[in-house]
Amino acid sequence: MKLTIERSALLKALSHVQSVVEKRNTIPILSNVQIEAADGQLALTATDLDLAIVEHTGADIAQDGATTVPAHTLHDIVRKLPDGAQVGLSLNDRTLTLNAGRSRFTLACLPREDFPVMSAGELPHRFTLPAPQMKRLIDKTRFAISTEETRYYLNGIYLHVAEGEKGSTLRAVATDGHRLAQVEVALPDGAAGMPGIIIPRKTVQEIRKHLDEFEGEIGIELSDTKILFRFAHAVVTSKLIDGTFPDYSRVIPEGNDRLLKISCEEFSEAVDRVSTISSDKSRSVKLALETDKIMLSVTSPENGTATEELAADYSAEAMEIGFNSRYLLDILDQVEGDEVEARLADSASPTVMRDGADESALYVLMPMRV
Amino acid sequence: MDDGKSGRIHLLDEQTVNQIAAGEVVERPASAVKELVENALDAGAHHIDVVLREGGKALISVTDDGIGMSPEELGMAVERHATSKLRSAEDLNAIGTLGFRGEALPSIGSVSRLSITSRAKGADEAWALKVDAGAKTGPLPAALSAGTRIEVRDLFYATPARLKFLKADRTEQSNALDIIKRLAMAHPHVAFSLSDGDRVLFRAERALSTGDDAQKARLGDILGRAFTDNAVAVDAVRDDLRLKGFAGLPTYSRGNAQQQYLFVNGRPVKDRLLVGAVRGAYADFLARDRHPVLVLFLELDPHAVDVNVHPAKAEVRFRDQGLVRGLIVSGLRHALGAAGHRASTSVSQAALGAARPATSPVTRPAYGEKSALGGGFHDAARSWQAPTSPMPEQSRFDPETIPVSARHEPVTQEQEQAAQREDYPLGTARGQLHETYIMAQNADGIVIVDQHAAHERLVYERMKASLEKSGVARQMLLLPDVVELDPDAASRVLARAEEFAELGLVLEPFGDGAVVVREVPALLGKVDSVRLVRDLADDLAELDQGLTLKERLEEVCATMACHGSVRAGRRLTLDEMNALLREMEATPHSGQCNHGRPTYVELKLRDVERLFGRR
Ligand SMILES: Nc1ncnc2c1ncn2[C@@H]1O[C@H](COP(=O)(O)OP(=O)(O)OP(=O)(O)O)[C@@H](O)[C@H]1O
Ligand SMILES: [Mg+2]
Ligand SMILES: [Zn+2]
Repeated sequence: MKLTIERSALLKALSHVQSVVEKRNTIPILSNVQIEAADGQLALTATDLDLAIVEHTGADIAQDGATTVPAHTLHDIVRKLPDGAQVGLSLNDRTLTLNAGRSRFTLACLPREDFPVMSAGELPHRFTLPAPQMKRLIDKTRFAISTEETRYYLNGIYLHVAEGEKGSTLRAVATDGHRLAQVEVALPDGAAGMPGIIIPRKTVQEIRKHLDEFEGEIGIELSDTKILFRFAHAVVTSKLIDGTFPDYSRVIPEGNDRLLKISCEEFSEAVDRVSTISSDKSRSVKLALETDKIMLSVTSPENGTATEELAADYSAEAMEIGFNSRYLLDILDQVEGDEVEARLADSASPTVMRDGADESALYVLMPMRV
Repeated sequence: MDDGKSGRIHLLDEQTVNQIAAGEVVERPASAVKELVENALDAGAHHIDVVLREGGKALISVTDDGIGMSPEELGMAVERHATSKLRSAEDLNAIGTLGFRGEALPSIGSVSRLSITSRAKGADEAWALKVDAGAKTGPLPAALSAGTRIEVRDLFYATPARLKFLKADRTEQSNALDIIKRLAMAHPHVAFSLSDGDRVLFRAERALSTGDDAQKARLGDILGRAFTDNAVAVDAVRDDLRLKGFAGLPTYSRGNAQQQYLFVNGRPVKDRLLVGAVRGAYADFLARDRHPVLVLFLELDPHAVDVNVHPAKAEVRFRDQGLVRGLIVSGLRHALGAAGHRASTSVSQAALGAARPATSPVTRPAYGEKSALGGGFHDAARSWQAPTSPMPEQSRFDPETIPVSARHEPVTQEQEQAAQREDYPLGTARGQLHETYIMAQNADGIVIVDQHAAHERLVYERMKASLEKSGVARQMLLLPDVVELDPDAASRVLARAEEFAELGLVLEPFGDGAVVVREVPALLGKVDSVRLVRDLADDLAELDQGLTLKERLEEVCATMACHGSVRAGRRLTLDEMNALLREMEATPHSGQCNHGRPTYVELKLRDVERLFGRR
């Protein structure tokens, strides 16, 4: 193998793939990235056995070939090369030599034959999704993904076909047991028969990275155990979480009839302000709702108290409710419209929140007892 | 009572015999020693001398100056189920002596060559009885001035299978020594000695003082002066229970829980309850892997405790476990609380040791290594310097990188006067060293304070107080967590549901063997409630109290305290330093940091003078 490639092209591809590689591995080759030169292209592959990414980039190839080298080391080297540098890679027996200007690195290789190949298997369900829609599905739910290992089936986004009043949609749901986020997009052609799947958190993160640079249609192929995302220059294949997502619809209350409408920006700034005073991790903020106003208060046994009154659209019976201010802010962050709507029942039942300008997303937040 | 020819000693009726915890009475030399020394104590001896040859395998001899036995009594004493200490099954409910079964002597006699020489109190002659593998000869007239001498030769010679299981002489000997020490702790007015026939291995004189002083002196003899110097007296009463003893300061802790002694009505016992109660009482002061040294004596109505549950009488059963545990926890907490900011003197001894001039370097013995100087000093150094949990990195300083310059602010006259006016235990700050340590001067010495550790403890105590005041905020769960347990564990956990709810964890029953978690302490964030509940269930099974939850909450407080307190490396003004010292004096438990390390060290002036050879 012998090739030359522009530093920035190599860096971009490497930064996409290296984050898949775990920092510590018991199987040495999993620390490596596979480099393959063929058909006038350079293909970089990385995997952690649950997730694999292949990224293609143009290169000036003098001789085809393939090998594997430590991913983070290679990434660090390329990152530190001067902008605009031409990087030469050549494989000689067991080492890969990297030349750039006057720098020269020799990296130990492991044979590409030992590099684990993740086979996607049969992927019967295929459809495409515009990148902005994929982005919505991820952005509005991923803050609620659980990190708790015991309930592993909550460690991802549940993507499935939902039947609503306006017909079928493709819906994403995430919950950590304290709050829940749900968002949907129009059901793409070909998705109708797909099973409900749970996409692991790490895969979600990797996919999300590509969405900043990619505008087109994403090709999605899936079975009930694996999923594949096809971008212009990259293909991401991932295992799915093998578990049953709980029947979340049961925790979304239907009958909450106390409606609060409030400026999202004012609300979120006020919550942020009053919670400054709480020094402990529980960060509870109390909301006292009265006709057309709401009073926020935080009490910290060490520091004192903070209160702030806000005008709001509220005409139901007066009530008080406490929330984790961090959770509240997470939800308010998702709201793009001017107004946020909250439907409440009482101080011990879940509250439903929505973006006043967006029907398609919904959040459920469980209160705190303070 | 002394009817019939056999004198005091009589056979127990069959019903009583059947109620006595059966099992092996003598398993090894140490258990024979235990039985014989207990007999001597029951006989009212003031001096007990034990000789062991070959770790007791060749000879165990126990001589006492107690009431002795008449020839008739001698004959009865080696009969099975013959005792002077119990009359009926009724008496089993209220045992006031160490022995009660009438099993020990016959058991020993059946596996060895036993000889008992005894002179009953007031009698003018002594008699000797021999039992060889169960075959009795005598009694024959013998010579002995008073009391009883029992000699056990060739233990287990009659049961070669058992002989094989004996350990090396040294191991058997040290087991026996351990037993003698335990009994000696509980009987300060009895003199004890142990020798191997050539050398005295242990000696404790009769305490001449009374009460606590006697007890303290005896414990000092056995556990070392370093212990008594670094322990607080415990004295607590609840209902008919009385707890006395000495509890080591948290700064005088060990890597294992072996030096925790519990005596129930003078009887050394092993009880799981003690482990849990001690852990609970010290939870605030010690890292999980450090253990205090303590000796506790529980006195209670013999009716309230069953000692007839273990063949070697090493365990007891309390009628009201909860009451006993509660008393131990509150008694210890109270005693430690009263100790206030006191840190162990072993710390300053260790510091002095390290400061010794170069002519006689004191090298710290490796952990676990026996010190030639014996218990006191090196033990103290070890207990302080043994790795507990890693040192908080910010309280470590690197002499290489930090310029060695003491910081000394001009002391104003006013401050000087203030210092003289009031005699603060932790003294008046004189300066800061390495931006890490506060140097203060008090009436009779020098106080060095680790500013981060001290402040961290103060913040932690403040946080705990406010948590107690305002209650634990609870996050309700949108998806309640179902935790599968076994039915026993589930009911154990649910029985404490109310207590857990106060700490922020709300649980409800969920069918057979499961509980559902509805609310969690908000302080713990996104806690894995399944694991939390399982841990609590284990705690309850093991220790009968759910420590995990409280510990987790306190851990969070501790971390926050660490982040919220002045770092090492922060310059402090004299006013700030003095404020810290005054707050330490006012705050209970400020003598040790959250990991049981000292927050300050005090060097007495006389110790400093010694360093310079002025004394
Ligand atoms: N050193 C001694 N001095 C005086 N009497 C003794 C001595 N040792 C034993 N005896 C008498 O012999 C009896 C039998 O002793 P033994 O140890 O076999 O039984 P015990 O002490 O009554 O009960 P246990 O089996 O629980 O120890 C005792 O009850 C006591 O009266
Ligand atoms: Mg006895
Ligand atoms: Zn700290």
